[in-house]
Amino acid sequence: MDLIIYENIIDICAICMLVITVMAVMSTYMRKLIQLFAIHSLFLAVLAFVVAFYTDNSHIYITFTLTLVLKVLLIPRFLDYTVERIHVDKEVRSPISTPGSLLICTVLIFAGYLVADPMTESLTTLGRNCLAISLSIVFIGLYMMASRANALSESIGLLLTENGLFLGTMTISYGMPLIVEFGVFFDIIIAVVIIGIFAYRINRTFNSIDTSYMRRLRD
Amino acid sequence: MIHGIEIVVLIPAAAALLCGLSRDERALSWITILAAGACLAAAAWTFWPVFSTGTALEYGMWYVDGLSALFLILTAAVTFAVALYSHGYLRFERAAGGLTLRAEKTYYISLNLFVTAMLCVFLVSSLGMIWIIIEATTLVSTFLVGFYRDEGSTEASWKYLIICSVGITLALLGISLLYASAIGVIGSVSSALDWPVLMSVAADLDPVLLKTAMALVIIGFGTKAGFAPMHTWLPDAHSQAPTPVSALLSAALLNCALYSIIRFYMISEIAIPGFASTLLLIFGIASVFVASMFILNAKELKRMLAYSSVEHIGLIAVGLGIGTTWSVFAALFMVVAHSLTKPILFFCAGNIIQGYGTKEMSAVRGLGKTMPYTAAMLTVGSLAIVGMPPFAVFTGEIALLYSAVSAGMWWLTILLVVLLIIIFAGFTGRVFPMLSGSAEAEVTEPEGPIRAAPLAILAVAMTAMGLFAPESVADGFRMIAESMIGGLA
Repeated sequence: MDLIIYENIIDICAICMLVITVMAVMSTYMRKLIQLFAIHSLFLAVLAFVVAFYTDNSHIYITFTLTLVLKVLLIPRFLDYTVERIHVDKEVRSPISTPGSLLICTVLIFAGYLVADPMTESLTTLGRNCLAISLSIVFIGLYMMASRANALSESIGLLLTENGLFLGTMTISYGMPLIVEFGVFFDIIIAVVIIGIFAYRINRTFNSIDTSYMRRLRD
Repeated sequence: MIHGIEIVVLIPAAAALLCGLSRDERALSWITILAAGACLAAAAWTFWPVFSTGTALEYGMWYVDGLSALFLILTAAVTFAVALYSHGYLRFERAAGGLTLRAEKTYYISLNLFVTAMLCVFLVSSLGMIWIIIEATTLVSTFLVGFYRDEGSTEASWKYLIICSVGITLALLGISLLYASAIGVIGSVSSALDWPVLMSVAADLDPVLLKTAMALVIIGFGTKAGFAPMHTWLPDAHSQAPTPVSALLSAALLNCALYSIIRFYMISEIAIPGFASTLLLIFGIASVFVASMFILNAKELKRMLAYSSVEHIGLIAVGLGIGTTWSVFAALFMVVAHSLTKPILFFCAGNIIQGYGTKEMSAVRGLGKTMPYTAAMLTVGSLAIVGMPPFAVFTGEIALLYSAVSAGMWWLTILLVVLLIIIFAGFTGRVFPMLSGSAEAEVTEPEGPIRAAPLAILAVAMTAMGLFAPESVADGFRMIAESMIGGLA
């Protein structure tokens, strides 16, 4: 296969990730959000596999395996378990309407392209279109975290942001040194466990995981 | 063979393990105190030569130069004071009831792991590893912030976890861009994120990538360091955490983030001079400004102290931002001065909160009669932190203002002086009324020499540093400042 085909597969995966991120911003059911995150991670894994195959770089295969095992299988399973434990699959209300959110996402995608534009010149790697998409996913993930008032959807926003980031590192520098990647994965898995623990604790303390109840501390 | 570096890291890690195995409440705090003392001794013995001679220690994944040696010894010293204070603080909580062995165990295990992680930040060579460890410090200390499990501390720890994780995610994006620009120069090798390697090729790094990378890194680690406007987690976490932890967050954790920023700053100033320093200057001024406004209206003692940390981090960032040898010298001096002074105030706050049972400053009166020792220390600490002579913070602030004037930044000097006066008025105006008047309830000084000792040790240290900074110490500072700015010429 030649370069064009690899580039196309990579671009398709990246675009799918972006679309799923936008879907996640609009979806209001916890279980659906978790599923979307799993699919998001699956596309990231496929992308990692293609990059690994193209560059024939053994350590990206490891990244691919870790993504598949941790982000597609384990973390969604753990989040499902947390949702079960605190009995929330109800609709979470979003303070901004769906059309409003869509509009903001569009603006953020433009922002991603705007920020990435001057940098693409400097990059020589095969997925240079992906930087803009990666930044857009990061921005939308952050927006999701800011706009949601629910501990679990905030953490899904964080995970989506992190996936967007991995998309970026994968395509602009074919990942990071292996030891760093291991460390980052380790941190993410610990973070998810701690988020689970605290979501449980918030639910017990406030009888809800709606973080808008947590407004006691202010000046 | 195990070198000094491994010993320094292994001591608190072993202490965490021992605390996990221990079944006795009293053993926990003694293990931690002994470990912190041993760790301080090992750190001083291993890293003092590095600090005073400036020759870097480098092997395997470790890299220690004068700058990291300074932060290492400082962190170990603060940890020792915190370990001593924790002993009496938790004993009081235990006596008051509501503290299980399990909770205390969690506290000491997390504390020791937290310290291990913070020490590692200053030891590793790879900037990627630094990122991982900084994130690890957040994860471990979330349990410390949420120690009391009530509404306030749950809210504070959640905010802390999420805001810092978001910040740090942005920093990772910045690091990956830096990595991308590094492999453009030296190829895809695993050492491409090692700081000495990056420094040696800094001049050839792609400036466009590096600019975005630096902006992301400063925003990301700046969140953790407490730069305004990303500081919102800081007052909550500092005020809701158990008081010894607040002291550790303020005097050690903020330094970790600051240290990471300095490492990136040094690379960036070679490749794109003036970019990182301008950003730091802006964030620094914003932090001092925001802190001054909140200090003026503070109601809770620990929140006010937290904002004072934001102020000092801001001043340090301004020092780095001015970017002359003098200003960097001042910034480093302020790092040490702040880390030695702030725990005194937090420890006093802990005594007051346990004695009076309230965090509100307006409910505390008659401190001079009820708690004479705490009152004296609070007076000394407050005067020191607002920058009165002869204490260390004063020396740092004067050096900073002097460097601003000699760099020709008059507007900056005037602005800083005005803000410092506002902070002086706000801080002393809240603290000193607590000393006089009469207490409504029966309140007594917490007893025990171990409880009093850390206050006295720190007070002596920071006064001595203000009065006569020893020649070798001043030389060490100068050497680091010159090596940081030497790269710029």
